[in-house]
Amino acid sequence: MVRLDKESILFIENYLENSDVFYADIRLEMTDHIASEIEQLMDSENTEFYGTFKAYMINNKAVLLENNKRFIRAADTSILKRLFAELFKFSTLLVFALVFFVSFKWLSIIEVEDLRDYIALFPMVSIVPFCIIYVFALNIFKMPRFSGIERLAFLYMICFQLFHFLSSMMGIYIQSNNNFYIVAITMSIIVTLSLLIIKITLKIMNQYPNDYKFMKSL
Amino acid sequence: MANSKLYKGSLVTIILKLLNGSNKMYGYEITQKVKELTRGELKITEGALYPALHKLEAEGLLEVEVRKVDNRLRKYYKLTEKGNKETVSKLQELQEYIKTMQVLVNPKLTLE
Repeated sequence: MVRLDKESILFIENYLENSDVFYADIRLEMTDHIASEIEQLMDSENTEFYGTFKAYMINNKAVLLENNKRFIRAADTSILKRLFAELFKFSTLLVFALVFFVSFKWLSIIEVEDLRDYIALFPMVSIVPFCIIYVFALNIFKMPRFSGIERLAFLYMICFQLFHFLSSMMGIYIQSNNNFYIVAITMSIIVTLSLLIIKITLKIMNQYPNDYKFMKSL
Repeated sequence: MANSKLYKGSLVTIILKLLNGSNKMYGYEITQKVKELTRGELKITEGALYPALHKLEAEGLLEVEVRKVDNRLRKYYKLTEKGNKETVSKLQELQEYIKTMQVLVNPKLTLE
């Protein structure tokens, strides 16, 4: 059975990277699949690598790139599913209740008018940590891009919009100087969701180095 | 090749059953195993297989192990405890479906 050498594997990987298959975890699986197909073709047709690769890509490139989009959609769905699974846990409800209780008590003792100035900052909290991690990890540490981690930005963007909307609504209620329980509920939603996002982010970030520890050895 | 639409709904069951029969498998191996078992009648495309595998992984039915094999990295999938239970349930569902279909297409056969 023909086995591709390191150089040929690298050639496939570079080809995929140049064809916009950015994420290392997706590229890894695609590279192995293509390499296995090519090895089998080379074996059965007794051909050399470059000719076989070229012929294979002419027939399959469009399908492979479409698969890349499907992989990314699968990563997004997986993140959202994780979030929904966390949302309906008893512990989440407990955190929400606790934050609500603390927020309501806190609102009754502070000068609520001052709170409006800080509310505008709430949505920023959801997006800034990701940007910092992204810049450091990719540009300074040159880490591989993993779909699950990078697609977290999708979740952050949804939450950014949601928090922004909730903060605007909260501002109206603060202005009316009553209905503080609505303000407390809104604050609880934002804090609970933020904690869930942090939890999911840490879980995914811990999972990748564990699952892909061999990545460093290549 | 057979009508792929008929097999589409059974893809997850096929994957789970294959993984249930072996310790761990990688994507290409699954496509080749299906081709071999069905004597080329059913070909699973990578476009259908990998998203299904990732979905099962996200649902906690599969766990992943990446190993260095033949100058490259290979992602292996294996069933989790939850995945084993789901396999039993999916196979039962499929058997019920096959029985019902047999009764529908061949009324002389009964469910017993």
